[in-house]
Amino acid sequence: MFSNRKEGLVLALPAAAFATLLFILPVAILLSEGFRPSATGWSLSGYVDFFSSGLNRTVFLRTLKLGALVAGTAAVIGYAAAFSIVSLPPKSRGRVFGLVILPLMISPVARTFAWIVILGRTGIVNSALVGLHLTDGPVRLLFTETAVFLGLLQLFLPLMIISLVSAMENIPRDVIPAARVLGASWIAVFFRVILPLTKEGLVIGGTLVFTGSLTAYITPAILGGSKVLMLETLLYQKVNVSNDFVAASIIAMILILMSFSANFLLKYIASGRR
Amino acid sequence: MKTMLCTAAAAGLMATTATAADKTLTISVYAFAQDEYKEALYDPFEEICGCDLVVETGNSVERMAKIEANAADPVIDVAVISAHDAYALSQKELLAQIDSTRLTSFGDLYPSAQDPLGDQTAVGYTFYASSIVYRSDLVKINSWADLLDEEVAGRVALPNITGTQGPLTLLMLSKALGHPEDFAQTITTVGEHADDIVTFYSRSSELAQLMNQQEVIAAPVGRFAWGSFKESGLPFAWAEPKEGQTGGMNVMVMTKGNGNEDLAYQFMDYWLSSEVQTRIAEAQIDSPANAKVVLSDEVAEGLTYGAELINSLNMISPQDIVAHRDAWVEQWNAEVIR
Repeated sequence: MFSNRKEGLVLALPAAAFATLLFILPVAILLSEGFRPSATGWSLSGYVDFFSSGLNRTVFLRTLKLGALVAGTAAVIGYAAAFSIVSLPPKSRGRVFGLVILPLMISPVARTFAWIVILGRTGIVNSALVGLHLTDGPVRLLFTETAVFLGLLQLFLPLMIISLVSAMENIPRDVIPAARVLGASWIAVFFRVILPLTKEGLVIGGTLVFTGSLTAYITPAILGGSKVLMLETLLYQKVNVSNDFVAASIIAMILILMSFSANFLLKYIASGRR
Repeated sequence: MKTMLCTAAAAGLMATTATAADKTLTISVYAFAQDEYKEALYDPFEEICGCDLVVETGNSVERMAKIEANAADPVIDVAVISAHDAYALSQKELLAQIDSTRLTSFGDLYPSAQDPLGDQTAVGYTFYASSIVYRSDLVKINSWADLLDEEVAGRVALPNITGTQGPLTLLMLSKALGHPEDFAQTITTVGEHADDIVTFYSRSSELAQLMNQQEVIAAPVGRFAWGSFKESGLPFAWAEPKEGQTGGMNVMVMTKGNGNEDLAYQFMDYWLSSEVQTRIAEAQIDSPANAKVVLSDEVAEGLTYGAELINSLNMISPQDIVAHRDAWVEQWNAEVIR
């Protein structure tokens, strides 16, 4: 496009300067706090201290577990949903796709509060359980890992569906019927045809859902509270309650590393499957 | 001549404006009820002092961090915070000694508000009682120990240890469980009941919402939040447990070397005066620390009012809170939150 490399670099300069000054530099300064637990100098002792606390380890593992569970469940539901959406005639496909995107246009706060109405003692789920005599009394659903899981899944499932739909739209129309004609079961079709052809979409969707679940604040704060702490809610506590910027910076670093690792891991798995 | 007079008048006006802008007092306060404070305190004070009041709000942690960060050249002149936060600042030598002779209302304050830290760096301006709010149609609370009773299991909330109400609840539970000095044993007991506790709330508004949704039927809370319960339509009651009520005090402090002492004293004295304390009490924002304030029963209902109540409150000394809080939080995180 350009006559020489220089022109391209010059044009990229403003954007690069903007990103460096207003994003990379501040983030680097913020993250460096975690390596300076005392005024004396650089050290990893902040990280050692962080992981020596039982609560911090529990919160770390819970965040990892819920993130993976939400991403995994979203992938299963997402494939089914995406497959049925791409099988629809173009006109109704647009409409159904619109319904999938609709929740993304509603504030996460409103969506999360809706869960309180649904999962509360006097909510729909408990009324149904008691009404059908499935339980003696209302079951506690709020402030449990289940509540956080449901909230996060509902929040990020559309991202997985969108990624998978666009991946599936690129599958040549004839390959699935061809596989079927050649005698492949639906399970074989999925694992040997659909999955390899949509792995890019799965990597993108998986990264978005996993990263989103790690970094969501409102949903775990409202549905989990202080009983089901996640890294993000713990980070908020460290900054706003204990004024502990070292621990907060360490949590931020862990979250960033977890997001990158998830992306690399998914890409690696995807590239290995052929 | 006419022109000259006009010019002189204009110059005079400009001079007045300049002085008003020159005199600025920066205060750091809790973020709640700012409209009411503006009407009851800020606006009338600005009129009296002919100065500008700069009001900074935020949670205690942010505001304390700001005072500490600007220690060499204070931005904040006067701050209002909890007694134990004030003690923490005083330990870091960030507070100025308050000369009580410059506060005309000083003698009118309840004795416990006059020098709550014992080093003349703070003056109490409001008290709050804390007790248990409960659903009188579903349960009866007679003791702090009832919070851990089978009857409310699965429907009780406790304040988190990181807030002001957390240690107060520990104090009263320890008393009720028969080992008033041993908070560690109380934390272990709460940990054993952790599954029976719906959540550990951080803000009273969060609790009000949970109680209005009938998720929670009993929880300790400060009297300042009573308003959001009594008007909800549900039968909420304020417990008078046999161990008594607990409570605390918020104080005003002046930063060391702020260079604005005259205006700071004027403002503190105004806030402590029975005139302003009455106005603030009648707006149902803060309970008075000035013993001369006289309130109607109706106004007093929502507040912590009267020598008898204030003297009966079980309080933890700010020194104890600052000395032990880290240990409490650590044990709480290990045994209760897990």
